[in-house]
Amino acid sequence: MVGAGAVVAGCASEPAGGKGWMPNQYNVAANWPVQVKGRVPIDSSNPAIDRDDTKCILCGQCLEVCKNVVSVYGYYELPIQNDITCIHCGQCTMWCPTGAITERNEIKKVQAALASADQHVIVQTAPAIRVALGEEFNLPPGSLVQGQQVTALKKAGFDAVFDTSWSADLTIMEEASELIKRLTTGKALPHFTSCCPGWVKFAEYFYADLQPHLSSCKSPQQMLGAVAKSYYAKEKGIAPEQIFSVAVMPCTAKKFECQRPEMNAAGILRGNPAIRDVDVVLTTRELANLLKSNGIDLSRLVDTPYDSVLGESTGAGVIFGATGGVTEAAVRTAYYLVTRQDPPAALLQWENVRGLKGVKEASVELPGVGTVKVAVCHGLRDARVVLEKVRKQQSDWHFIEFMACPGGCIGGGGQPRTSLPPSDEVRKARMANLYKLDGTAVKRASYQNKEVMDLYQKFLHAPLSEESESLLHTHYVDRSHQLKPKEKV
Amino acid sequence: MSKGVLVDITKCIGCGSCTVACKMWNKLEYDQNVSSIGETAKLNDKNWTVVTRTSAQDSKGQAVWRFAKQQCMHCLEPACASACFSRALQRNADGAVEYYPDLCVGCRYCMIACPFDVPKYEWSKAAPLITKCQLCSTRVAKGEAPACVAVCPTGVMKFGDRQELLQEAHQLIRREDLYLKTVYGEKEVGGTCWLYISDIPFDQLGFKSGLGSVALPSYTHSFLKNVPIIALGWGVLLTGMSFYARRRNELAKARQERLAGKNGEGDADADDFDEEA
Repeated sequence: MVGAGAVVAGCASEPAGGKGWMPNQYNVAANWPVQVKGRVPIDSSNPAIDRDDTKCILCGQCLEVCKNVVSVYGYYELPIQNDITCIHCGQCTMWCPTGAITERNEIKKVQAALASADQHVIVQTAPAIRVALGEEFNLPPGSLVQGQQVTALKKAGFDAVFDTSWSADLTIMEEASELIKRLTTGKALPHFTSCCPGWVKFAEYFYADLQPHLSSCKSPQQMLGAVAKSYYAKEKGIAPEQIFSVAVMPCTAKKFECQRPEMNAAGILRGNPAIRDVDVVLTTRELANLLKSNGIDLSRLVDTPYDSVLGESTGAGVIFGATGGVTEAAVRTAYYLVTRQDPPAALLQWENVRGLKGVKEASVELPGVGTVKVAVCHGLRDARVVLEKVRKQQSDWHFIEFMACPGGCIGGGGQPRTSLPPSDEVRKARMANLYKLDGTAVKRASYQNKEVMDLYQKFLHAPLSEESESLLHTHYVDRSHQLKPKEKV
Repeated sequence: MSKGVLVDITKCIGCGSCTVACKMWNKLEYDQNVSSIGETAKLNDKNWTVVTRTSAQDSKGQAVWRFAKQQCMHCLEPACASACFSRALQRNADGAVEYYPDLCVGCRYCMIACPFDVPKYEWSKAAPLITKCQLCSTRVAKGEAPACVAVCPTGVMKFGDRQELLQEAHQLIRREDLYLKTVYGEKEVGGTCWLYISDIPFDQLGFKSGLGSVALPSYTHSFLKNVPIIALGWGVLLTGMSFYARRRNELAKARQERLAGKNGEGDADADDFDEEA
C-alpha cells in the first residue's frame, strides 16, 4: 500500500547512486580548484606499464611524478596527436600508493621458457639489481647480493647467468671510441649518452632536432642480447633460435626497448629477422616474485660467480647503475684510449660526477685532446635545462649523461618499492654500495675486461668496426610529429 | 536554473579518471567483460560513463586520436521521464534527471524513449532495475561538481550554470579556429545539460546526429495533452448514455407490464387449468 501510494504520489526516499566515496580533495565546492587530481593516461597497448583500474583511487600521485620529475605529462599541447605520450620510465609505478600501476607482468613468459626442454634460457642482470633485490627479501636498503642473485637464478632454472656490467664495459669501449672520434673531428658535440631507453624516447619526442648528438651505441642490455645470440651462440654451438634471452632490469622502459623493431641485430646476422636480441625483460620486482614463487629465499644463499663468456665485469661496468657512473666509466677508458696509460687516481674516484645533485658539471684534462667538459643529468625535468642550452647553442659541454630516473638506474621504475614515494635515503644506500663494489674491484676500467677483449679479438675485431656497428649500434626514430611540445609550461 | 557541464573534446587525453570517479562515488562494480575506457568501451548497467577512443582525421588530414566521454545527457525535457508512468525518472531543479529505484516497475519504457540510448537494465540480476548517470545529484545539491568533472586533470569538463556555459562555449568556438562551429547538446532534442565542443565532427566520434531540435515529449504532448479531456468526456458521455439506456429500458418494461395487465385474465385461467389437470 505504501509503495503504491508512493508511486501515485511520485515521491520516494532517495535517487540511485552516490553511496560511495571520493578522496577528500575532491569534496569541495565546484568553484574551488583541486590541485592534485586525476591520473596519467596509460594506453592499453603500453608495452611497459599497466594499470588495474579497480585499485586506482585517483590520488593524483602518478601525475605529480610524471609532470614534476619526468616532465612528460603537461609538457605537450592539447589536443593530442595519435599517441598517448609515455616514455615508459615507470616512475609512476614507484609512486602509486595502491599498487594500481605496475610493470606489464611477463613472469609467465619466462616460466614457460624455463619449463620448456628445448630452450636454452639465458639471463642478464643489470648493475643496479645487485644493490636492490635484497630489499625484497627483508635485507636493509642497498644490500649487496650479487653472488646470491646468481645462485638464485641458477636455482630458478636459468641455463646461464650473465652480467649486464660486462656489456656496460663493452658499451664503454664503443662509446668512448665514439666520443674520441667526435672530440677529434669536432662533430656532433656535445655527445649524449644513449643507454637509458626512457631518455632516448624522451629525446625522440621532445628533442628530435638534437638527435645527431645521441650516441649510436645500443644500451648494455641490447648489446648483451645481440652478442649472446651471435658470439655466445657460436662459442657454445647453440642455435640462436634455441636461445631464450631474459634481462632483469631496474627499469620498465627496457621492456619497451627490447620490443623496438630494430632490436634484432643477431637475427639479421643469422638471416632470421624474427629473432629478438632480448626476448623478455623482467623488472627487479618481477624477479623477486619469480624467486619467491619458487620458494627461493635470496638471503639464505651462498655466492656464485657469473657465467663466462659474458660474465666478467669491472668497477666501471658496475657503476653504470648510478647517476654519473656512465660518465666516470667513459672517461676512464677514454683516458686510456688516447694516452694508452691507466687513468690517474682522481678519475677512479671522481666525486664531481657522483651524488644526487640534479645537474652535475665537471671537466677533465685528456692529454692530446684537451679539456673535456661533462654534464650529468638525472630526472628529465632537470635535463631540460641542459637540453635547452644545447638547443640554443649556449653550451660548452662535450659529453652529457642523461638518465630518466632520479639517481640513475638504482632509482629506476622497476626497482623494489622500499620507500613510498621513493626516497633519497634508499637511493644513497644503493649508490654507496655500487661505488664500494667499484672501489674494491681489482679492475676499475672497461678496457681491462678480458672477456670483452676476447670478444673483440675473436668476433668484432675492434670498437666501431663494421661488425661492431651492425651488432652494437643503432639508430633513432623521430617522434616529434606525435606531439606538439609546449612552448612554455 | 539548470546546471550543466561543458565538455571540450580537444582537451581529453584518455586517462579515464572520470570513469573511475564515477565507479567510486556511485559504488559501481567493474565489468570484467566490458571496458569503460578505449575503443571497445560501452555504457551498461555498471558503466554509467565511458570514454571511447576514436581514430579520426583532423582538418589538416592528420591522423589523430580523440576521446569522447559518454553518459546521460540530462535532457531539458527528458523523454525517459515523460515515458515513465511510475515517476521513477524525474528531472530535479538543478536539471539532473534522477532515477528513483523504489518507484520503478521495470517496464523499460525509458530505454525505448531515450534518444541517446542511455538507460540500461540490470540483465544479470533476478530483480533488475534501470541504471544511469545521476549527474551526482547529491554532490550537486551541496554545490560540488559531479565526481567525473572534479577529477579531470586536463580540465576537459566545466561544471556550472548551463546558460553561462553555453555562452562560454559560443565565445570559445568563435574565437578559436580549432573548433567546429557547433555546440552539441545546445539544441539536440530540445537541449541537454551536457554540452560538447570538438574539432572533429561529432558523428565521427560516435555522437548521434539528426536528432532534431524538438523535445521528444512535445511530439506526444500535442495529443497526449487531450487525454484527460477525452477520458473525462468519454466517461461523461458513456455515463449519460448508460443513464439514458437504463431509463429507456425501465420505461419499456413498464409499458410491457401495462400491456400485459390488459390480457392478464386469460393467462391466469390457463395456469389454473394446468394445476387442476
